[in-house]
Amino acid sequence: MGIFNKLLTAVRGGATEVGEAIVDSQAIRILEQEIRDSKKALNDAKTGLTSIMAEKMGVDRKVKDLGEKIKEHEGYAIQAMDKGDENLALEIATKIAEFEHELSIQQGIRDGYDTKVVSLKKMIRQSERNIQAMDREVSVVKTTAKVQKANDLASAKFSGSNSSLNSATDSLERIKARQQKREDQAAAAMELHSDESGDDLQAKLKNAGIVDSGSSGSSILDRLKKQKGQS
Amino acid sequence: MSTEKLEQLMKGLTDNQTSHGVSLSVEMFDADNKVACIKLEDREEFPIYMTADEGQILCISYLFGDAQVDPDKRTAMVEAMLMMNVSIPLSAFSKIGDQYIMFGALSPKANIDELLHEIELLSDNVLEAIEAVSDYLKEAA
Repeated sequence: MGIFNKLLTAVRGGATEVGEAIVDSQAIRILEQEIRDSKKALNDAKTGLTSIMAEKMGVDRKVKDLGEKIKEHEGYAIQAMDKGDENLALEIATKIAEFEHELSIQQGIRDGYDTKVVSLKKMIRQSERNIQAMDREVSVVKTTAKVQKANDLASAKFSGSNSSLNSATDSLERIKARQQKREDQAAAAMELHSDESGDDLQAKLKNAGIVDSGSSGSSILDRLKKQKGQS
Repeated sequence: MSTEKLEQLMKGLTDNQTSHGVSLSVEMFDADNKVACIKLEDREEFPIYMTADEGQILCISYLFGDAQVDPDKRTAMVEAMLMMNVSIPLSAFSKIGDQYIMFGALSPKANIDELLHEIELLSDNVLEAIEAVSDYLKEAA
């Protein structure tokens, strides 16, 4: 069974039960057993990998030794031929043939180990990911019971009643109202501030004689007279 | 689950919130020190629960329970949630037990700025989501 299926089984199991019961649910127990099994399989795989790598190192040494022996005997064979000793040269060449045969066998074994190492490493990575996923699921489900209880308590507290009918939309409305109020307050404060600073500026302008402090009546009458004269 | 990691994140959130212009309260939620509860100011109704392990930092917020969903509209709502999932930035819908949730997950290597961003966004998304699916919920009692 794939990891997603296992998770789904656990989640479905949890979904049918509520609160504390989730923690004890059969599905979670199964998942926890799976985690234990996977961890054991992971350990086995790691041990297997270690011994295979050790064996591979042994074979690597053999391959290296055989390669050196072949080179060494090729030198001997050439020396024998130089001395005109064909029989000895043939004997050495036969030995070289034996070494080469052994070398190809050992190389085959080494290739086999290489493949095994790669697949074991892949398996280990996969198992580690699976275990993490299952661990996560178990912890999520386990914390759910606690969190859910607190959630119920919290909503009861905010609605000011013990009613479990307290709805998400009610909560949303309350939040929106609070936000609106905050925004209104901020806007009002801003307005007040600008009013204040505006008044302040006007006063300063008057004091500086830039704006006519006596304004109004006479200045308006002057303006109207000018307008009349123009028409 | 790493208590140390969680505590470190909680401290980071508390220390850095003002530079982000948010106001939030962070407290350890359970006796085992595995779950932190984060409340954003004015949005205390939808707290965000945070856990951390080697694999991820998980932030969950509860939307509503099955009981609040109009039974006739349930399938349509679930389908709408599935379709919305891709478009929602950084958060996704899910269900734990009989509770619909919204969650976001981060790499355990994420920094505090990223976590704060995630939390703010999740909180925004939760409010948006409830608004979006409110037609599928039962009329408030």
